[in-house]
Amino acid sequence: MIRLVSTTAFRWSAAVALWSAALSLILFAFIFWQTSALERAENDELVETQLAYIAADPARTVARIDDWLGGGGHDDRFAGYFGPEGAPLAGNITVLPRGLARNGKVQELRAPIAVAGGEPRDDLLCAALQHADGHVVVVAISREDIDRAKAVTVRALGMALIPMTILSIAGGIVLSAHARRKLVATEGAVTAVMRGNLSQRLPVGSRGDEFDRLVANVNTMLDRIEVLVDEVRSVGDAIAHDLRTPLTRLRARLERSRDEASTVEELQTAIDRGLDWLDQCLSLITAILRIGEIEHGRRRAAFGEVDLARSLVEVAEIYDPLAEEKGIVIERVIEPGLPPVTGDRELLFEAIANLVDNAVKFTPEGGQIRLSLEGRGNGLALSVEDTGVGIVPAERDRIFQRFYRAEEARHSVGSGLGLSLVAAVVTLHDFTIAVEDVPPTGCRFSIVCPASQLPPPAARRS
Amino acid sequence: MGRLLLVEDDDDTVEDVLGDLRRRGHEVERAASGPEGQEAAFRGGWHAIILDRLLPGCDGLAVLQSLRQAGDRTPALLLSALSDVDERIRGLRAGGDDYLTKPFALGELAARIEALLRRPVEAKEAILRVGTLELDLVAGTGRRASRDLELLPRELKLLDYLMRRPGQVVTRAMLFEEVWNYRFVPKSNLIDVHVGRLRRKLEAAGEPPLIHSVRGLGFALISDD
Repeated sequence: MIRLVSTTAFRWSAAVALWSAALSLILFAFIFWQTSALERAENDELVETQLAYIAADPARTVARIDDWLGGGGHDDRFAGYFGPEGAPLAGNITVLPRGLARNGKVQELRAPIAVAGGEPRDDLLCAALQHADGHVVVVAISREDIDRAKAVTVRALGMALIPMTILSIAGGIVLSAHARRKLVATEGAVTAVMRGNLSQRLPVGSRGDEFDRLVANVNTMLDRIEVLVDEVRSVGDAIAHDLRTPLTRLRARLERSRDEASTVEELQTAIDRGLDWLDQCLSLITAILRIGEIEHGRRRAAFGEVDLARSLVEVAEIYDPLAEEKGIVIERVIEPGLPPVTGDRELLFEAIANLVDNAVKFTPEGGQIRLSLEGRGNGLALSVEDTGVGIVPAERDRIFQRFYRAEEARHSVGSGLGLSLVAAVVTLHDFTIAVEDVPPTGCRFSIVCPASQLPPPAARRS
Repeated sequence: MGRLLLVEDDDDTVEDVLGDLRRRGHEVERAASGPEGQEAAFRGGWHAIILDRLLPGCDGLAVLQSLRQAGDRTPALLLSALSDVDERIRGLRAGGDDYLTKPFALGELAARIEALLRRPVEAKEAILRVGTLELDLVAGTGRRASRDLELLPRELKLLDYLMRRPGQVVTRAMLFEEVWNYRFVPKSNLIDVHVGRLRRKLEAAGEPPLIHSVRGLGFALISDD
């Protein structure tokens, strides 16, 4: 019950109950005020018209008073006819009330009024008129009707308020219980996620209301988190694996050389080998840190205008000797007069270099690499195409992930971070990258730089 | 050899760096904190200062900046565990002459200190000469003894850089920074391939070697006289 009371739905319904009670009270008060005023006005008018009628003709006053009183049939009607000295001449009011203005207007008298055949009345609305000869006519009506009507109205309000409040609270309980049922299921699922079961999803209702949409969004978020956590986990595994291999070798070599090396030269050779393996570990760690740094966008400080054509030529030039050793020709196809892009010169160079490095590595002897840069739409497209082994479609999505290495490349040198660095650089620049097969053999990486990433023409150096 | 000031708080780093630099014939003094380093630096008389970025007491950059403001132009090399490129740029803007990220090879530090200590050779009449090698910077041509060399533009630049530092070890990273103008360490053995090709051109007629490999570190161009 306490949990129920503490739910938002319950609090809301309690607030709504209070609010509607307050509203009804105001409404009732207004109706009450309006009707009692109306009734009062009607009574006043009745008394004043009757008085005027009775007093209009002194000769018929007595008869008219009897008519008004209806022979005593109306126990709420009163009248009196008094002589100039105040002697009662007719009617059921026995004493001329004191302090009654004789102007024909209804007045409420504080003092009780003596009436025939009963207790003096203090609930009368009276009006009086004086004839020229000093006779006074008094007409009065009991306020009892009005008071009764008021009492009935108030009672009705009271009787209506109770069931209304009960209904509101009951509605609140039903609503909050319903909301709770939904929440309990959600809470259970969330608890499971908190305990580490990331594959748990929240139950989605079929109504498609805002709650269901929220739940659906949370589920999408959980999907993404699960993928990320898996990625982190597998990256962690990959790092551990890639570090362990050289470190294991290093350990074994150190142990063996300590026991077996008999000359300083042998020790030095062993240490040099060990340093190589350590450098391998360090460069892996450096690469991971650099990708993290690029992915966090901290390098935008170095952004400026970059002539991609120049970067491409520089990369080609630096890889020429390496390619020539394998009998590979690096062909350049560069459209002249292309505008520069906004970016980090060194990072873009490194990204292109990584693509070319891969191309050289995976292209068999005598193959060909084609670097091209052309205008595409209002932007630029840079591509690196080779006649290497190509990439099977199933692997294309994964090659940009950290530490992913195509199966046949498992045993080749490299950290498996080259393409994820390329992806990080491309993302930092808001460029896009795609990879496709080039028949009969080979593949093409294309980096597309949208027009929005070109510096505005006015800022361009001619 | 030079008189060096090493401002570094980490004792283990100091032990290795100090030992290595002294073995190479430098006279090295150590300061263990920012204020101590500042005091020593202002005393003057150093050929080069090695300054750690993160020091107890103050930032290495602050020490460097106050030194530069005082008009002291002693070459300074910044050491840092911060690999962030922006940090490097800040370091160089503050008046640093070189920037080395931890962890580094001792040989790399020694080579860079060497480069700071020695002024590059000035080219008289725009011609560089080392032993039998001659480089005409204006014509962009090279000759070994009486043999003309066919050099690509980048090879000219590489030779220019090496010939201004005869007998001095230059690391692969230094070459990549100075000749190619890029600061990351390239994959594959790119630099070696380029140097190898240049070396073959220099020794095509069976001449004695000029460019020597320094194991695990880089290269040195040594006169054949």
